Amino acid sequence: MRLSIYRFNPETDLKPRMQDYELAPEAGDKKLLDALMRLKTIDDSLSFRRSCREGVCGSDAMNINGRNGLACLTPLVGLKEPVVLRPLPGFPVIRDLIVDMTQFFAHYHSIKPYLINDTVPPERERLQSPAEREKLNGLYECILCACCSSFCPSFWWNPDKFIGPAGLLQAYRFISDSRDTATAERLAYLDDVYRLFRCRTIMNCTEVCPKGLSPSHAIERIRQALVRESS
Amino acid sequence: MRARVEAAPKFLNLLQIRFPIGAIASIGHRISGVLLVLSLPLLALALDRSLHSEAEFAVLRDLVSAPWRAVLLALLVWAATHHLLAGIRHLLMDVGIGSGLSQARTSAWAAIVAAAIVALIAAARWLA
Repeated sequence: MRLSIYRFNPETDLKPRMQDYELAPEAGDKKLLDALMRLKTIDDSLSFRRSCREGVCGSDAMNINGRNGLACLTPLVGLKEPVVLRPLPGFPVIRDLIVDMTQFFAHYHSIKPYLINDTVPPERERLQSPAEREKLNGLYECILCACCSSFCPSFWWNPDKFIGPAGLLQAYRFISDSRDTATAERLAYLDDVYRLFRCRTIMNCTEVCPKGLSPSHAIERIRQALVRESS
Repeated sequence: MRARVEAAPKFLNLLQIRFPIGAIASIGHRISGVLLVLSLPLLALALDRSLHSEAEFAVLRDLVSAPWRAVLLALLVWAATHHLLAGIRHLLMDVGIGSGLSQARTSAWAAIVAAAIVALIAAARWLA
């Protein structure tokens, strides 16, 4: 198979370049990550992140033939050649396919991604009804791979001010949690022309989410909650 | 030797990104909006002049009868139609109507195709 991969080494390169590779996948190489790891045995200077190799850790997010996805979940069968691999769009490149996710995680931290409950804790856990627990489905599964935020035009143009689809999905995960008591504060923080309302419902986020989640739906729900709050 | 890098590079070449249909409908909405803002004052002025007298109407009619001008007018018809349809689509999605992924894809295609058809009909009519 043929691959064309974005290469950049900050210690030797002034600007990025594309490097072509020829690779013969072996039996058992099913996913793009398998091919990349085989390539690494040929060219050990090629850099990319990977860990769990099964779509749980979210490390190997990259731009694959123009669309964001996880290398470990992308089957080799059906990939158009040459397979063009680039780092996540709009993120500063550290080296090759590795991007700097500092700002992405700063947005994640800003929405306080943890349960806030100022009531006295019960002796055992805080219980939820099955219906209350059901509301978290489609939200808690996010693995923070950044496929969505780095495919969002609004995030490209305002990466410092717009929280982005990943952060907003996580924000809604806690807004909709029956055990959380900080809903009003969370909504007040999001009620901002940039933080939430830079979303233009383009839905690139939902298009590329490798976990099949819908950040655009979560954003819609936050907007509706804000309307209910103000009426 | 260590190269001097001013800032970390970013990959953001829009021509190398494969955009979903919703993104194409959205950028079309932006482009058509800009075209309308730029052209509406001129079109309003043209309408105003054409209502002055029969002679001025005839001058304007001759002005837009050249084929390339007809294409330009068809482009503006596309802009108005696409902006209207994509705008209605956005408004409906804002209130939760058709905001599922498959529905949003369908409505994006519908807005793009419908605007193109209307523009083609307009072009055919002017060029005929």
